Amino acid sequence: MSQPVTERAPELGHRARSIAAIFWSAFLAAAIATMLCFAFIDPEALRDGNPPEWWGSRLQVYALGFFFFWLVGMVSAALCWQLSRGAR
Amino acid sequence: MNEVRIPLHGSGQSLYVAEEKVYPREVSGRFAKLRTLSVWALLGVFYVFPWIPWNGRQAVLFDLPARKFFIFGLVFWPQDFIFLTWLLIIAALTLFFFTAVAGRLWCGYACPQTVWTETFLWMERLTEGDRNARQRLDRGPWDANKLLRKGAKQVLWISFALWTGFTFVGFFSPIRELAGAVLAWSAGPWETFWIFFYGFATYGNAGFLREQVCKYMCPYARFQGAMFDHDTMVITYDKERGEPRGARKRGTDPRAQGLGDCIDCTWCVQVCPTGIDIRQGLQIECIACAACIDACDEIMDKMGSPRGLIRYTTQHALEHKPTRVLRPRVIIYAGLLSALGVGFVVALTMRSPVSLDVLRDRNSLYRLTDDGQVDNVYTLRILNKTEKEQRFRLEARGGSALTLLPDREYTVGSGAVYSLPLRVRRPAYEPLGPETIEITARSVDDPEVHVTTDARFLAPTR
Repeated sequence: MSQPVTERAPELGHRARSIAAIFWSAFLAAAIATMLCFAFIDPEALRDGNPPEWWGSRLQVYALGFFFFWLVGMVSAALCWQLSRGAR
Repeated sequence: MNEVRIPLHGSGQSLYVAEEKVYPREVSGRFAKLRTLSVWALLGVFYVFPWIPWNGRQAVLFDLPARKFFIFGLVFWPQDFIFLTWLLIIAALTLFFFTAVAGRLWCGYACPQTVWTETFLWMERLTEGDRNARQRLDRGPWDANKLLRKGAKQVLWISFALWTGFTFVGFFSPIRELAGAVLAWSAGPWETFWIFFYGFATYGNAGFLREQVCKYMCPYARFQGAMFDHDTMVITYDKERGEPRGARKRGTDPRAQGLGDCIDCTWCVQVCPTGIDIRQGLQIECIACAACIDACDEIMDKMGSPRGLIRYTTQHALEHKPTRVLRPRVIIYAGLLSALGVGFVVALTMRSPVSLDVLRDRNSLYRLTDDGQVDNVYTLRILNKTEKEQRFRLEARGGSALTLLPDREYTVGSGAVYSLPLRVRRPAYEPLGPETIEITARSVDDPEVHVTTDARFLAPTR
């Protein structure tokens, strides 16, 4: 029969979990935002409008768009976390 | 029977305490079979679908670079975005409906997290052995055996995760070409990135995070409780029957010893992938996988007691009240769901197989010709959403007879867009001033395939 399990597995603590939640919630929001944004905007169609240098193939613009939304989402989630912790 | 002490967490423990690793015991039984079946079906769909050919292309392909989605016979364009939204609403309502009726069915049988965790657990059992062997291995020193077993597990996990990442990207970029490119180490930078990204996510979620995804990351887990009521099927321990729990000799009458049916063997806890004790009542961590039901049924069989000490039941049934399946929330969800479903199918079948954009030439309003006519110039874009090549002829209708220049057939390939300049001509003052005209593209091969778009026709007012 097995012994009592006592050792602690190296898993996420509270702080790490908050950071994970920030990453994750922003990820979900970014996925939705990317889908909505590029359903209506074709990166190729903007090519005529003299796009910035880093503008590339559709796949590249989708990916960069996704990371942009993710970053924005993380900023928002992090601020929300910071503010909701209250003053100490 | 030796006493086994199982560490419990989740209940009454602060979030600040590090998680204890959960070592789920393997379980067999009715619900485990059902879940295995579901895992095979869902993973089958995921890993096989991209390889199915259909009319010379991939049957299911969300071709992001080309901005079109292929799902068997259907082709979706960005213009069809409404269908995707619609489908997502139907999916959400289906989830609500099933949650209201039978609790977290989704979590226990269909959620990708469950499905992939189950597969990763299977690989873990294959390399590291059962629950006890795994615990022993983790406690033991890093000898050759441990290194070999852990190494083999990692090889299996990483290969499977990368294969998953590859398959995922294969839904968005033609998988056969992708396979060739991957084998030749010449896949595009973004394809490569997403293969590793999704592979890493699979590895992390199914191998490392597991039940923590359900406990801390899943939005559905947080709000599913709102869909529950006392008539919802939940997995419950029958306290009345089980308590007071305690060890007893087989064949003795527990009632004579003042005991309930629960022999406190803690199998229900050992099999739980989220490491909770169902006997403490319904908890947020419970993903309704029914592993505890299977485990308990097996013990009850051995003890000669009736099954179902832990079972799917409702709050009302436990309180000896009648359970109502048809109740307002279920009826409302079902009604909305069927209305949306029917609407979806109808809209999908009535979807125009061709679309036509008409853009006025921005550089000139109109042009008068020497023989008293007026010309307007447009750019037309014909989008053939059918599975066949079509030859289109254009027609235009307005206040007087309109002449199209050129007046010819346009051959548009399946799923292709054809851009063409079109000059529309009519008498300059008949009718007087601007008007709205209708431009129709109609297939020569199949007159049912047609579309009409309005356009503004400009003309002198005097």
